[in-house]
Amino acid sequence: MTQTPPILELRDVDTFYGPVQAHFGLSLRVERGEIVCLLGGNASGKSTTMKIILGLVKPTAGDVLIDGVSVLGLSTPRIVRLGVGTVPEARRLFGAMSVRENLLMGAFTRNDKAAVAADLERVLALFPRVAERIGQQAGTLSGGEQQMVAMARALMARPRIIIMDEPTMGLSPLWVDRVLSLIRDINGEGVSIFMVEQNANLALQIADRGYVLQTGRVVIEAAAADLLVDTRIRDAYLGGAEAA
Amino acid sequence: MTSWFDHTINGLIIGNIYGLLAVGLALIFGVSRLINFAHGSVYVVGAYVGWVAVSVLHTPFPVTLALVVILAALLGIAIERFGIRPLAGAPRIAPLLATIGLSFVLDQTVQILFSPDPRSVPMQLPNWRLEIGGGSIGMLDLLIGGIGITAAGALFAFLKLTKWGWAVRATALDRDAARVVGVDVDQVNRIVFAIAAALGGVGGVLVGMYYNVITPTMGFEATLKGIVAEVVGGVGNVPGAIVGSLLLGIIESYGVALLGTSYRNLFAFLLLIAILVLRPNGLFASRHQLPPEPMTGTFIAPSKPIGLPVPLLAALAAFAIALPLLIDNGYLIQTLTNAWLYALLGLSLTLVAGTSGQVSLGHAALLAIGGYTSALLAADYGFPVWLTIIAGGLMAAGLGTLLVSPAFRLRGHYVSIATLGIGEIVALVILNWESVTHGPIGVAGIPPLEFFGRPLYDTNAIYWVAFAIMLALALLQVRLLSSHLGRTMRAVRDDDVAARSFGISLNRYKGLAFAFGGFVAGISGAFTAHMYSFINHETFNTHISVLALTIAILGGMGNVGGAILGAVALIGLPEVFRIAAEYRILLYGIALLLLVRFRPQGLLGTV
Ligand SMILES: Nc1ncnc2c1ncn2[C@@H]1O[C@H](COP(=O)(O)OP(=O)(O)OP(=O)(O)O)[C@@H](O)[C@H]1O
Ligand SMILES: [Mg+2]
Repeated sequence: MTQTPPILELRDVDTFYGPVQAHFGLSLRVERGEIVCLLGGNASGKSTTMKIILGLVKPTAGDVLIDGVSVLGLSTPRIVRLGVGTVPEARRLFGAMSVRENLLMGAFTRNDKAAVAADLERVLALFPRVAERIGQQAGTLSGGEQQMVAMARALMARPRIIIMDEPTMGLSPLWVDRVLSLIRDINGEGVSIFMVEQNANLALQIADRGYVLQTGRVVIEAAAADLLVDTRIRDAYLGGAEAA
Repeated sequence: MTSWFDHTINGLIIGNIYGLLAVGLALIFGVSRLINFAHGSVYVVGAYVGWVAVSVLHTPFPVTLALVVILAALLGIAIERFGIRPLAGAPRIAPLLATIGLSFVLDQTVQILFSPDPRSVPMQLPNWRLEIGGGSIGMLDLLIGGIGITAAGALFAFLKLTKWGWAVRATALDRDAARVVGVDVDQVNRIVFAIAAALGGVGGVLVGMYYNVITPTMGFEATLKGIVAEVVGGVGNVPGAIVGSLLLGIIESYGVALLGTSYRNLFAFLLLIAILVLRPNGLFASRHQLPPEPMTGTFIAPSKPIGLPVPLLAALAAFAIALPLLIDNGYLIQTLTNAWLYALLGLSLTLVAGTSGQVSLGHAALLAIGGYTSALLAADYGFPVWLTIIAGGLMAAGLGTLLVSPAFRLRGHYVSIATLGIGEIVALVILNWESVTHGPIGVAGIPPLEFFGRPLYDTNAIYWVAFAIMLALALLQVRLLSSHLGRTMRAVRDDDVAARSFGISLNRYKGLAFAFGGFVAGISGAFTAHMYSFINHETFNTHISVLALTIAILGGMGNVGGAILGAVALIGLPEVFRIAAEYRILLYGIALLLLVRFRPQGLLGTV
């Protein structure tokens, strides 16, 4: 048990898109240093959870806390400055800018030029593949390479937590493994990770805990190891639920 | 004889000034996906700030320039903050309409403050010219060229080398991604509007010095030229806007050299339509380049139309018919006659822009076609007036539809720009085709309205005929809207992709909307021509197009009763309160701004 508040916490969040409700009393938390995985079928509200954390969408009820402090009133840039890095759904690189420019845009909130330059070296060492492509236009990279750049860009802000929306989407098995092991490496440097995944089996192998979301409600919360073994429960909610 | 060298220099100088405008438009489009129709008004403000500085404060040139840059930038920031940002969640066409309202407000404010009379901005430079071969370059030419190049250089350095310059580029590429890396996109917008306005303001002073004359009304044309240059270069493409501007300047300059000054704008707008139809992504778009985000989104705020009970409507109609007998006020009756004629225009536009979603900004051209057809047939060829009015309606329907048909494949913003350009072309053809249209002197002595061969002079009789025509066409439009045809038009408006996938031919339905709307507007224009007995190429100007749109929005887009109500409110009320003409346009601008912001569904709701 730790006395410090969780780095990220959602409490009883309700979210609406016009008349459509996307979250029903959603609560979850990420402790420092954890990798937490949010699982769920299509349209269960996973991406909306990301938008809520970043302040891109505001909930109608409930609270979002970072280090125990509510961020509901803050704009997205302010939340980012608190140490929240993002790997958005479908990567969202700045396609017509070079890889280097994309990485430096990741450090937009920082003013310490020398440290940013040092971090660029460090990040490039972590992603040798990205280093090779540093001058290329980001939009011309392969999907897997773009995913690497998106993760590297998130790291450039020196975040304390990175939230990732389906980082393995559309990648071949080889690249999925690469991405997951990089996530573990990043976590090893002390960065907490909150990731949305549909690739439940693989994601749970690196995660500490997992939540299963179904139509905007958390239906299971468990240690990743337990979720991995309990195929029955998982299948009922992931994939299985959609057929029903 | 001026040489081709001089024409080229002249074209490049004018192109430089267009460039100062177009670059700003491109920057703004890049980050906000908005075509800023208030841009030319900033240029006007810049010109007048320059005039005050030079003529009243007697500042030296560098100080003049600095004052213009600062004040224009502040104005740009204010426009962004109060005109654009509140509309962040609205359909894309909403901020466009707001900028049109803003341009009315700004232009008219300048006009009220400085009078409509032209003023000259004294040039603050030695009148020295460098002779080269057969031509010459003046000090001012060099200065304008120098400022253009310096501004472009500074802008590129800003975009390539500075942190906020990167943020501007990143925001233009992907707004949400920029936000999640911590970019404050409101700040980016503010910066971009400030830069754009500063450049536009500088353009205004320079043009004042170059032509040695400024007027409060020069802004609209400047906006249009900037838009043309931007479209030529590819909407949102900053280097493209510069090349497009220089190209436009040179084409205009050569065109003027060949055919005369009154053809200048014709070249610009023909170029616009050609680019929109043939290369809507601009001259420099590569095959692989994605088209700029499709600018869809009609201006239809979802709402439940307010259904007025039939007995009430019948009572209102009866009251309108009885009115001339109840009161003896010729002025009021004339005003209401005017309102019925504007109601016809409103009916036409509410069908085209509301029901079928094609937000036309050139609707006054349909009035002009109807008015000129009828006036010329009656005055020059002696046809009976009742026949020429119908001919006017048919001509507006046929020619209007034919002229916009190349624009049918466009969507959203592009439709508005294209219709605006087509409207300007119609006005310019009327101005220049002297052998048929009498050119700049206009058509005088148009025979009066007649009713079965008897000329109509009586105010009340004219009122009744106008009301009867309006009522008949309104009822016809109601029938049309409730038919299968009306439903299909709304389907095309709401989702053209889905409509097409159901096998609906979009062009046919857009064509039908323009044909019916054109007929209604043409009748209105023709009636007006005979009522006034004189028209010229400025009778049906762009202000009227925007007024028509305001009428349609005020009533509720697509709403027949709303168009009539909107016309009575916007034509009748200012007249009843005897508001002077220049304040009236200010009022229309404010009405448009407030409507877009607070009641996009209008008074009676959209259909
Ligand atoms: N901008 C929006 N406007 C209206 N409804 C939305 C919007 N964004 C999401 N929704 C709705 O909210 C619900 C949750 O969407 P969300 O994108 O969070 O799902 P998701 O779990 O990320 O799905 P996927 O696995 O397909 O990415 C869906 O029903 C979706 O239609
Ligand atoms: Mg998603």
